Amino acid sequence: MTSGRRRTVALVVCGLGWLAATGTASAHGGSLAGGGRESLTIPTWLFLSTGGAAVGASFLLASFVTDRAFVERIHDWGRPLSGDYEHVLEYAGQLIGLAGLAAVFVVGFLGPTNARTNLAILLVWVGWWAGLAMTTYLVGNSWATLNPFKTLARLLPTLDRSYPTRVGSWPAVGGLLVLVWLEVVSPLADQPRLLASVVAGYTVLTLAGALVFGPDDWFGYADPVERVFGYYGRFAPIGRDEDGLRLRLPGMDLSTPRLVDGPDEVAFVVALLWVTTYDGLVTTPAWRDLTTPIVAAGVPPHLLYPVALAVGFAGFLGVYRLAVRLSRDMSETYLTPAVLAQRFAPPLVAIAVGYHFAHYLGYFLVLAPSLAVALSSPFADPAVVPTVDLPAWFGAVALASVIVGHLVAIWVAHAAAYDLFPARLQAIRSQYPFIAVMVFYTMTSLWVVSQPEVALPHL
Amino acid sequence: MTDTATQPVADTAATGTDDDAAYDVPADATAYTCSYCGRPFARESWLALHRGLAHPNELDDEEVDAFRAAHDEEEESLSTFRLQALGALVLIYFGFLMVYALV
Repeated sequence: MTSGRRRTVALVVCGLGWLAATGTASAHGGSLAGGGRESLTIPTWLFLSTGGAAVGASFLLASFVTDRAFVERIHDWGRPLSGDYEHVLEYAGQLIGLAGLAAVFVVGFLGPTNARTNLAILLVWVGWWAGLAMTTYLVGNSWATLNPFKTLARLLPTLDRSYPTRVGSWPAVGGLLVLVWLEVVSPLADQPRLLASVVAGYTVLTLAGALVFGPDDWFGYADPVERVFGYYGRFAPIGRDEDGLRLRLPGMDLSTPRLVDGPDEVAFVVALLWVTTYDGLVTTPAWRDLTTPIVAAGVPPHLLYPVALAVGFAGFLGVYRLAVRLSRDMSETYLTPAVLAQRFAPPLVAIAVGYHFAHYLGYFLVLAPSLAVALSSPFADPAVVPTVDLPAWFGAVALASVIVGHLVAIWVAHAAAYDLFPARLQAIRSQYPFIAVMVFYTMTSLWVVSQPEVALPHL
Repeated sequence: MTDTATQPVADTAATGTDDDAAYDVPADATAYTCSYCGRPFARESWLALHRGLAHPNELDDEEVDAFRAAHDEEEESLSTFRLQALGALVLIYFGFLMVYALV
């Protein structure tokens, strides 16, 4: 087969995989309304196994692409975007970031106490955690410039103590888990004063860290938020390399060697994946039914949530490490498990991205008009705020994005394996354990997304 | 750094870290070690493939021939794999088709 024909075949194969996936999702996701979800028209087990099969079949389709040069061309494709306008953009971005932080403080402490009209609440959850996060993986990581904490830290003096390399990114792993725990259990999205206080606490902690170790080390290793957006930004079509800004294909930068460097960073990527699942899992009826007897037996709910968060994280990390060991045995390689764990962790970012998009796109679209109203009059407290009613088919978008995230992850892992192993069959075999985990994980995610959302039980 | 030829140039992908901890060869295992970058392999054909992919400009004629032979052998096993994968796809597709017809 000539390379031209191979390319055509590869494109057709990728296209079919995509069609198969979205076709599946839209056929059965249509019954899931945006807000109140209805039950599926087909049995849940069949819906879940169809999703799992779509992922498994995509792996088989990806394994047909065995032309190393073609894989490399896709991943290396790019155009430089840099220019003199960057400095202007940088100053504008820093100013916008600082203005946003100031708005959260001022309106959070002094504005209306109604969560649906308070700008601080809407700006943090709708504008930042849903909207801005989506732009970091759909466009580029603007948080690297917007981050008001980094702008402030750079204005302050620093003691410039050397950051302990042994600690690495573990504080960011812990910080991410703590932030998500706070987000889930506390009424941060309901009480503007509390939200502003937590943001103030985070500001003090971050500036103190940057003061001691210097902003570069603190934001490079220890700050969880900078890291989350940093990894999301590696998925984006616009990224930064040594020559400046660059256009590339979405997700393809995730196969870069040394993107994840060390067990701490592997743990962070796994934590990122776990917290997105945890966030959805605790509002399912199954979680309520599972925990009701535990709480009835006298376990305090305030202990239950952090313990479940920690146990789930340990479980995810354990399964990932097990998959790495199996992958090492199957590919008969002498590379250490640590090398494999680091190389196959970045594709998980694509899955986290798909899941974040599934979770927050609807949320963002519904509340974006409220945010616009609050932005135009931050201290007004209107009785009615506009929201958007999403059409019934919108649930399909969530299901499709979960599956598309997995498809990108499969492709990126395929390319990383080709880069890592000299024999192509060896590369394909190395992926078997990861695909098994991914099929299982897709089914879990689809199950969570298709469940009706209930109020957080016991709190 | 005495001999620049031993420095892995094109093989950065394989070594996640620069130290020796990137490889772990069990004591009783046979290892075919690359003379250019020191990476060990469990099979001789994998070493031949690696030399052709990672150090294409440094090989002698014998190593080039070994790479070609290993490459041809690989192509053959890949076509077998493609057939198996196609079989699995057909099974998945028609399996689900029948399940959907029954449910």
